[in-house]
Amino acid sequence: MGAYDLHINEQTYSVEADAEMPLLWVLRDLLGLTGTKFSCGMGLCGSCTVLVDDEPTRSCVTPVSAAIGKAITTIEGISQDGSHPVQIAWLEGHVSQCGYCQPGQIMNAVALLKKIPDPSITDIDQAMGDVLCRCGTYQRIRDAIHTAAGAGA
Amino acid sequence: MSTKLNRRDFLRLAGIASGSLVLAVYLDGCIPGSNTPTEIVVVPTIPEGSPTPTPPFDWTPDLYLKLDRNGVLTVTAFRSEMGQGIRTALAMLVAEELDVEWSAVRIEQAQADRQYGNQLTGGSVSISNYYGKMRQAGATARQMLINAAAGIWDVEAGLCKTEKGFVIHPDGQQKISYGALVEAASSEEKPQKVDVKDGSKFKIIGTGVGHWDAPLIVNGKAVFGLDVRLPGMLFAAVARCPVFGGKLDSFDDGDAKAVPGVKQIVTIQRGVAVVAENSWAAIRGRNALKVVWNEGSNAALSSEEIIESILKSLPNPGPLDANIIEAVYQIPYEAHATMEPMNCTAYVHDGMCEVWAPTQSPQDVQTAVMMALTGISQDKVIVNVPLIGGGFGRRLQTDYAQEAAQVSQAINAPVQVLWTREDDIQHDFYHPMSIQYFHESLDNIRIPSARMYGGQAVPTGAWRSVDQFTRAYGEQFFIDEMAAALKRDPLDLRLELYQDRERALGVIKLAAEKANWGQPLPSSAGRGMAYFATFGVTHVAQVAEVSVGQDGKIRVDRVVCAVDCGQAVNPDNVAAQMEGGIVFGLTATLKAEATLKDGRIQQSNFHDYPILRMDEMPEIEVYIVQSDSQPSGIGEMGVPPIAPAVTNAVFAATGKRIRHIPIKPQDLLA
Repeated sequence: MGAYDLHINEQTYSVEADAEMPLLWVLRDLLGLTGTKFSCGMGLCGSCTVLVDDEPTRSCVTPVSAAIGKAITTIEGISQDGSHPVQIAWLEGHVSQCGYCQPGQIMNAVALLKKIPDPSITDIDQAMGDVLCRCGTYQRIRDAIHTAAGAGA
Repeated sequence: MSTKLNRRDFLRLAGIASGSLVLAVYLDGCIPGSNTPTEIVVVPTIPEGSPTPTPPFDWTPDLYLKLDRNGVLTVTAFRSEMGQGIRTALAMLVAEELDVEWSAVRIEQAQADRQYGNQLTGGSVSISNYYGKMRQAGATARQMLINAAAGIWDVEAGLCKTEKGFVIHPDGQQKISYGALVEAASSEEKPQKVDVKDGSKFKIIGTGVGHWDAPLIVNGKAVFGLDVRLPGMLFAAVARCPVFGGKLDSFDDGDAKAVPGVKQIVTIQRGVAVVAENSWAAIRGRNALKVVWNEGSNAALSSEEIIESILKSLPNPGPLDANIIEAVYQIPYEAHATMEPMNCTAYVHDGMCEVWAPTQSPQDVQTAVMMALTGISQDKVIVNVPLIGGGFGRRLQTDYAQEAAQVSQAINAPVQVLWTREDDIQHDFYHPMSIQYFHESLDNIRIPSARMYGGQAVPTGAWRSVDQFTRAYGEQFFIDEMAAALKRDPLDLRLELYQDRERALGVIKLAAEKANWGQPLPSSAGRGMAYFATFGVTHVAQVAEVSVGQDGKIRVDRVVCAVDCGQAVNPDNVAAQMEGGIVFGLTATLKAEATLKDGRIQQSNFHDYPILRMDEMPEIEVYIVQSDSQPSGIGEMGVPPIAPAVTNAVFAATGKRIRHIPIKPQDLLA
């Protein structure tokens, strides 16, 4: 067990955790930030994606010790009020069905648009290919990313 | 956020304090007088930007709705939401007839409560069963508001109108808001029957309001089963016998107890539960258990063996007449693989059990939990239903809730039992594997039917579209084989087979036209068609366009889908459900299967149970037949036609009949 200061959504949180504890469970079970989702536990599906220094990161396979001193952004932190252009595009495009994977989808889309402000379909396929959705919302995700890009996300 | 008063107490107090009418309905519970704890964390489901209701809820004209002094309408959703849009659709029906703006709508989720009838959410029947009832509820409340206003103005009620949450005076000038009328309306006599709107007057039904829950979903604030948090709750993971029907023999928990954070290890009916301070410790502890299972009589079973024995048992037709064709089609076990793995949170205390179960059937959970516990009667089981991260039929089962209830009873504390992805894939109630045998004469062509054979020993259950997936696959595949044998165009043959069925023809022609049926494609590409009326009610035709690479890899480039579901309540959601159904079916058609070896499911996670990905996503176009017929379901109906449509398209592209799914590249290289 170690005591760590984590910088999450521009706030500092102090946690006591095993160094190997995945960031996912630190967020969900120790800090109550349940917007980041558990689904595969092996870094295969992307539902648990957070940004670590702007890099999309699978928090289910990232030990908390690897995130110390870095800026962690979760779905709760991309805007205060749902006003991030990606969130707005998601609402306008009626993307969500069950919604469980969508925080991970959104975090990957936010990261993509930071790197490539106007992504092509190939860029989207590459960045989002490992982010799974069983409800099948991919077409709307693709469209919403284009919408958000147009809105200057 | 926590609350000192539970809502039931609150309602009762509110009713007394305001002197208004609460129609003997305890909205959130089924057990008047039961002692719900007061420190439960309230699960908020209010999207940002919607008006904050002012308690007390003054008026409850019906089981399904409340109207408060701000004119906020709260609709009680009594069916489970798993992405199919039922919460939104039920609320749309009430809001339409009541004549309030969509922004004035809130939705609350009902607990398990027999007042709502059977709450089982399956078979895509919620809208067809409640289209009339929910509209009637809204229209009745509207009439009572009109009657109240007419009384105040001393005018004839029949001359008053309503608009956007106001009753309008016959002079067209004066108006009173619903919020100002609720108290007066609550003492109006409830009319027995009122007229509902003519479809031409709809302002909400038939428009695209999106999903009411979407704002919370994109903020990460929506509460799914795994997001339920209770004060002092623990987390648990369960070791279950990998072989279906096996039992616990013995276990060594020395290593599990040494995992930091592990608090307690208990035996439950299903296996061994490791209880810990957090989910990670629970999973690690469970994985560190050394369990000896008595694997029972299924320990040697394999899919291959089951298939072989069925194939041996098929009828032997003898030499075939030139005008007889036959075919055998195979479908494997399929897992549900909901993105949110199974889970349930339970708290057994004070002679009762409260559960927070992401379930499609809260009343079945209530019964199952009662049966799983000792000393707790069914009326002391309270079932709350959070949002569900994918159901597809898996959550019609109740096993996850029984486990949580038993762990909570054993440890005397609130607990969340969470399943890992591996648990979820390997302990599913699978779509049954099947072998279909077709044998038809071409002399009198008709819609073909199959003899169906299935395997045993593996738990099976409803999987999005249930047996309709299997039936559509065989029937629509065989029609394509018949067309080839008859040297006829598959569209042309379908037009003949369905000539007496107007709605079938409607969607078949529409899909064919929009897909440019008959127009040339590159030589490596092909088009295939399928039509099916899932559960006999919603008519769907799909045309798939595929291209096949040199490496045998199939890419579905485009799917055109035509659907006739009667009146589309939320048309954009109808389209979304067709898109989702197609993607769900494509996973089974091209990618994933669950196979059995040594009595256990061999797959475990998304690397070996791969679901369709963004980079494999076809362009999907959905066309909805305009209709004012009674609405029928949409949640499952997009699934069945896609497997035969793609299979038939693969034949069109390659000349190869692959008579099983999933179709893998190696099938086309052989």
